[in-house]
Parts: sequence; structure tokens; C-alpha cells
Amino acid sequence: MSTFIKDFIEREKVSRRNFLLASAYGISGAAALKMFGPSPVQAATHDDPAIAWSYRNRTNPYWNEIVSGGEAFVESLGKSKDALVHLINEGSSEKSLADVKALMAKESGKVALAIDTNDAPNCRPVVEAVAAAGGYVSTIWNKTDDLHPWDFGDNYVSHMTWSDEKPAEQTARILLDAIGGKGGVVHLGGIASNNPAIERLQGLKNALKDYPDVELLDAQPADWDTQKANQIMSSFITRYGDEISGVHCANDTIGYGVLEALRAEGMDIPIVTYDGNPQAVDLVREGRILATVFTNPHWGGGVTASLAYHAATGAFKPSEEPNEHREFYGPTIMVTPQDAADFKAKYLENVPTYDWKDFWGPSNGQIQYK
Amino acid sequence: MNNWLTRDNLIRWAPLLVLLALICLFALIEPRFFSVRNAARIAIASTPALMVAIGVTFIIIMGSIDLSMEGTVSVCAVIFAFAFIALGGTLASFAWLALPLALLVGAAVGLLNGLIHVRFKIPSFMCSLAIGFVGTGFALLLTGGDRVRVEDELFRSLLTIRFLNFPIMVYVALACLVLAWFIQSHTKLGRNFYAIGGGEELATSSGLNVGRVRALAFMLAGMFYAIGALLAVGRIGIAETATGNNFMFVSITAVVVGGTALWGGIGGVWNTLVGVLIVNVINNGMVVIGLPNFVQDAVLGILVITAVVLSTNRKTVAFVK
Repeated sequence: MSTFIKDFIEREKVSRRNFLLASAYGISGAAALKMFGPSPVQAATHDDPAIAWSYRNRTNPYWNEIVSGGEAFVESLGKSKDALVHLINEGSSEKSLADVKALMAKESGKVALAIDTNDAPNCRPVVEAVAAAGGYVSTIWNKTDDLHPWDFGDNYVSHMTWSDEKPAEQTARILLDAIGGKGGVVHLGGIASNNPAIERLQGLKNALKDYPDVELLDAQPADWDTQKANQIMSSFITRYGDEISGVHCANDTIGYGVLEALRAEGMDIPIVTYDGNPQAVDLVREGRILATVFTNPHWGGGVTASLAYHAATGAFKPSEEPNEHREFYGPTIMVTPQDAADFKAKYLENVPTYDWKDFWGPSNGQIQYK
Repeated sequence: MNNWLTRDNLIRWAPLLVLLALICLFALIEPRFFSVRNAARIAIASTPALMVAIGVTFIIIMGSIDLSMEGTVSVCAVIFAFAFIALGGTLASFAWLALPLALLVGAAVGLLNGLIHVRFKIPSFMCSLAIGFVGTGFALLLTGGDRVRVEDELFRSLLTIRFLNFPIMVYVALACLVLAWFIQSHTKLGRNFYAIGGGEELATSSGLNVGRVRALAFMLAGMFYAIGALLAVGRIGIAETATGNNFMFVSITAVVVGGTALWGGIGGVWNTLVGVLIVNVINNGMVVIGLPNFVQDAVLGILVITAVVLSTNRKTVAFVK
């Protein structure tokens, strides 16, 4: 990156920080005023709130799993799975926010909303819109670091995210050991600006520090896309040929494209992926992928809806919960050839019936900010 | 100056010259770019896109546009994969029937697209975009978001078996290209595309049933999208709703960069071949020489404009809209 771009980003960060500090002051000022009078919005609970999931779309297997978890939760309440309201943003933050506002208006705020707000800055307006209408919201993945559930009383129930750096580092170590600790590796990443994409590459870089004889030959974004990954891997093969001894992929869908590019060349080198999709687990079992990481999106999708729902009905009071129950990491499970068969039987062939009231059992500790 | 070095000739051959210049440029920077193995890689990446781009070439020659390719490719890929597995899962069984079925589905989607465009007089831009969305949604409905693996070794031999260093799918694509050229140059239908693109009023007053030709063109395009879908599945062994992703951008860019004018009447399938190769040489070459990703997108954008400036004679165009 040129110094010009670096400087520009640095400057933007600083001015954004100033802006955030100023707005934080504004909010706390408003909060201080509220202490002297009744707050306009009381956290009223609702007997039978509408349950909604707002997400990108179902074409991606990951989001498909998330939503199936949401449906399983709704069914556990004795409702039909059609009772889950789907707000599909197709990757647009504007649509995401507009849909949420429309739903709040339609249901007069009697809503339990689970949402990924598509990008981090969109999280604040979404949460504010829900809180203002008296609804309850639980978020996953995207949230700015200065926004916390406990600043919104009960209405912002929880935020869950996954720290991908450690698991990605573990898969990287498995890969680097498999190539005997020397040679070259390439990384195919997700959409360059996505947080998980950044963390998964960072995980690889962390692991590489302990393997001085391994060189990171190249890292290119493959946008989570099988076909794009396929083309980039072919180009890597042209550029580096036999220098590539292992491939680190940011997720399973990228891994499929890489495997096919290798097959076209008659090459067989170790690769590791991420996400633990059923097909990837099969490939791990066959030994064609060395490791993948399962983040249990089914559970994540269900429990996020469950948290919002049970807060909305008053079954628990979020503001009485400690901070590690409001902001926490989701589960990660490493899948390797040794345990792939067990894993598949346990998690994929029979989707476990989860206790959706065990909100924090499988979670992974409070979110840490750097 | 030699009399062949006229502006007309230059414009005609500009896309090819751009392609050759790009190949030389990448080969100079990174000699490994210029190898038979890499040519095969570029060819593999190009084949599905070439089929889709040929389909839309017919539409663009008429001066219309078709943006339904992503949805159509997804629907064809998914229906093909389901039928293929249901009928036995290997080309050696009745599963081969899934191949013509995919073509029929492509033709049906294209015909529907064309009929709506002609009968309801909806601009092809809007109509095809809408049909594309319907297609993506329908594919999603069929798969429920899952991916369908097509593992048959015989079908996958499209990719895995090579003849003179190039996999079979490249020869399939070349055969389809020749077929497309034949339709374009040696059939009444193909000539009529140019007639409509060159001047629709004139074509109508000469007694040509423009509506019928248009509907048939969209049907033909749909069939080529279906072939593109089959090759895309052959390349990665997976059919899913996302199979159609990115084909809109790649195919329209390739057609335009190849020198087929968006206002119709100019260009053809050979231009499209050159255009698809230009786009894929850039995509491959930029990774091979090690350019960062954000520079790649910018370079591609600049190249589109440059190629249009070089390869089309804008003097004859009365207005630009």
C-alpha cells in the first residue's frame, strides 16, 4: 500500500474517532438529563412478539444454516417455521435498515429481531430504531467497537461474533506441519474489507512467525466465491508452480474452487479451509482437505433469535446479566480427518436438538477489543 | 502509407491488437505467463464465459440488451444437476438426457424473456433484468441454498481429460463458437439480427417480422447460456444458485471490449471470442505478475473504456444515449 493511502486511512480513522467521541459525549449528556425525568421509552415486554431474522440471503450455505437455526427455534415454540419473518437485505445496509423500520412500524415495536446489519456502521441506526420502537434486538457479526448492548438497557439484548484469528492460526499450523515446515504457501481470502477475511489471513500470518522456512508467496481476495477462487488458484499455479506446497483458504467455498483448480492440473497438495460446511467435512473425512473450522451457524442463528425472543417476553432481563452475557464469542470446533466422521454424525447427520434457553453454554467468552 | 492501414481496418483489428499487446506485456513482465499450460488455464476460465457472451452477442447485435444470464445460468445448472443425479448420476446411463434438458430449460427461459419483451413492449433492459432475478430466485427455491455436487468422472472428463494440452471443454466451446458463427453469418435468422440492429424501421418496412426475430434471438441466447451453465458445472463440479454469479459483468464487458457496439449492427461472435480472451488474459495476467487486487479492478475499468474508444467507429453514430 502506498504511503499516501496509508496516511489517508490513518487520517480518516482519527477524524472518525473524534466524531465518535463527540457523539458519545452527546449520548451520555442525554443520558444524564434522563436521570432527572422519566425516560420516554420504558422497556415494556411483549407476550407474543413477531420473531424476525434479517440477513443477506440464503444462497450462501453459511447464511442458509443460520436461518435454519432461526426456524428450528421458532418451531421449538410450537409455531410453524413460516412464523419466522425473513428480512433479506441482499447485501445492502440501506435495505437492512429500511426493512427493520418497516417491521417495527407494522408490529408497533412488538418484535424480537435477530440481525446481521451487513456492515458495522449500520448497527447503530438499526439498534436505535428498534430501541425507539420498544422492540428487542440481538445482533451478530457486524458492530462498531464503541457500540455496546448495555448502553441500551434491555432493548439491545446481545451481540455475538466469532474470533477467527485463533482458529485460522490453528488450521494454518496443521497445514504448515503437513508440508514439513518448509516451502511456500498461498492464501485465498474473502472480500478484502470483511472482518472475518482480515482475521483469517492474520491467523495464517501469526502461525507463519513460528515457521521461518515457510514463505507466504501470495494472498489474494477470492470474495468467498468458488469460481473466482478457481481462477485465482490457476493463476497462482502459473506464477509459482511447484513452489506452492500448501494452500490456506479463508472458507470452504473458496476451498472447493482451489481443489478443482488442482484437479485440473493433476496436482495434489494439502489445503485447509474454514466454516465446516457438510461437503467440506466430507472432504476432510476423505483426506482431501486437512482441516476446517465449524462455527455452528445453526446454533448461532437459533440462539440469537432465542435471546431476542426471551428478552422480549420478559423471561430474562438483559440489563441484569453480566457483560459477558451481552457480548460474547460464538463456538468454534476444529474438524480434522481423525474426528471428521464423529463430528459429522454428531452435528450434521442429526442436527442436535438444542436447548434454546441455554443461551451461553456453547459460547466462547466475552468479546475483547484490541 | 500502405493502403490497408486505413482507419476502418485499424478499428476492425484493434481488439485483436489489444489482446496481442496484453499477452506481450504480461509475458515480458513474467515469462512464466507465456506457456502452454497457462494458455490452457486461461482457456478453461474462458469457456463458460465465452458461451454466455456469445449468447448476449446476438442480442447486442440487434441493439437490445439481455441481462438475464446470471439467473438463466443458475436455473440451467441447478436443473441439470438435479436431473443428472435423478436419472442415474453418470453419463453412461440415461442421465445424459439432462444435457438436452438443460438446453431446453435455457431456451424456454430465453423465449419467455423474448415474448414478454416483444408482446408487452417492455424494454429488453428491464425485462431481462427482471427475468434474471426470477431465475436466481427460482434456482434458490429449487436448491434451498444448498449446493449440488456432480461427481461423475465421465462428465468431469470435460475438465480432466486433455487433448493436445487442452481439456475437452475447450474443444466443446470451440465447436459451439463455430456453430454460433454459422448461425450469425449463414442463416436468415443471423442476418436478420444485423438488419434489426442496423435500422429497425428499415427492417420493419422491408417486411421483416421484427417481433418474431427478437423472440427467437432471446431463445437462442438462452440456449447458449445453458451451454455456459453446463461448462461451468463441468469446471468446478458444483451446481448452485451462485453458479451464475459474475457472468453479467464478464460477458457484457467481453462483448463490448471485443468491438461489438452496444447500439447494434456491428460486431459478431469472433469479436466476442477476442473480448472474452482479453478479459481473462487480464484476470490471469494481473495475478501472475502480482498486481494487488484493487489495482486489478481499476485496470479492467480503464481497459473497457480504452477498448471501446479504439475499436468502434463513433463517427457514424448520430447520438449517444
